[in-house]
Amino acid sequence: MTAPRPYALLAEITYRCPLHCPYCSNPVSASLCEAPRRPQGGGYSQTHAQAKRELTTDEWRRVIREAAVLGVLQIGFSGGEPLVRRDLAELVRAAREANLYTNLITSGIGLDDDRVRALYDAGLDSIQLSFQSDNADLADEIAGAGAHQRKLNAAAKIRAAGIALSLNFVIHRRNIDRLPQMIEFAETLGAERVELANVQFYGWAFLNRAALLPTRNQVIRAREIATAAKARLAGRIDIFYVLPDYYETRPKPCLNGWGQRYLTVNPIGDVLPCPTASSAIPDLRFENVRGRALDWIWRESESFNRFRGTEWMPEPCRSCPQREIDFGGCRCQAALLTGNAANTDPVCEFSPNRSVVDEVLRDTNSSSSYRPDWTYRINPNGIR
Amino acid sequence: MPMQTRTISDAARPRLAKGVRLQTDSTTGKNVLLFPEGIVELNETAEEILVRCDGHTLSEIVRELAEEYDADVAALAADVRETMADLQQRNLIELT
Repeated sequence: MTAPRPYALLAEITYRCPLHCPYCSNPVSASLCEAPRRPQGGGYSQTHAQAKRELTTDEWRRVIREAAVLGVLQIGFSGGEPLVRRDLAELVRAAREANLYTNLITSGIGLDDDRVRALYDAGLDSIQLSFQSDNADLADEIAGAGAHQRKLNAAAKIRAAGIALSLNFVIHRRNIDRLPQMIEFAETLGAERVELANVQFYGWAFLNRAALLPTRNQVIRAREIATAAKARLAGRIDIFYVLPDYYETRPKPCLNGWGQRYLTVNPIGDVLPCPTASSAIPDLRFENVRGRALDWIWRESESFNRFRGTEWMPEPCRSCPQREIDFGGCRCQAALLTGNAANTDPVCEFSPNRSVVDEVLRDTNSSSSYRPDWTYRINPNGIR
Repeated sequence: MPMQTRTISDAARPRLAKGVRLQTDSTTGKNVLLFPEGIVELNETAEEILVRCDGHTLSEIVRELAEEYDADVAALAADVRETMADLQQRNLIELT
């Protein structure tokens, strides 16, 4: 299987985070979260004690250089909360030196004047700032922390520094009815771009699905509102609406195909075809940047080749005219809902497992006893 | 202001929108536009406009391209205007 060149690297530099959002897609069992030991250099050697520790600054620098050589044009610094890492601006600088477009995906917690200045000076191109709602009380309840006001302060600092600002909202049953207010909120804050992403069910979100999945009526209304806002704000604010795929009849074209355009490096250096693959597909073994060059992992590793192309596909995907349009949907969703990552995404109306999704939708839409309780994301060990 | 985009004036000066970068893709040697979570490969007209997002007006861009390509000015102007409107609707350029 010939590997194409990748376009974007998601750098999950830590799973540590001050928020506790119940829709977090990070692995529920993340024990991979200890801060790095003192710098170890950027070589390939590793000891057992190092293996479960976050990559060091030098190790990330090496990953960034290798990614650029491989063809990557964009890097997203994500987590967890990337600002927890004190070396974030250094990593941004390394990415700009490698000529990558740099994007920070953050809660904004910890973004004080000094750090905004350092990020700007390092050449950061764009910040995606998450909000849980336009309404402070609801937002803080969802985040499980008093975060909303601090996010507003962060937005003002980003504006003042002149860095491009996107607002990211994760949409779910408890906030979807406030879509018009959230869009208005983004207009008021002067964002260039708004992402309204219906929650996708991985990690903590999968655990909390019954509390998070919106009803069909909510989804229909939200789609109308998002479509109207997109038209109304065209040329001023870019509205990017992510569909709730359980309510679709065809699966999302996940990642534009496995191992085609994207790669993720997680905090301890495992290289993932998709950020949720490590928790959703337990039988897949991932290579680590401490043991292998990124180029080899992208081209040769079993995890990147397992679902590359169309050869791996079962029916009904194998003979489907859509197979190079939706790529059989999401491997993680197939694994989580059917127990086999190689199955057709059960969202697809032609999947023999579609009933699994329909049962979930039936419960959500028929139950008169909705209980809005969820399990908050627990922060990993080793936080300091 | 969607109304403006349909009648972009000759004096309009396109600039790359905030957070948008024009860069050569070292793998292909071609210019691409980069923005949050997005990459756009450029057609010829878009590329010719975008490399002139440095204070050139629409009419100056059209004049330069007419000379360079020995093309019909009216047809070229329509093409440039349409591409500019598209880029502006997608928030990739601003018009000042």
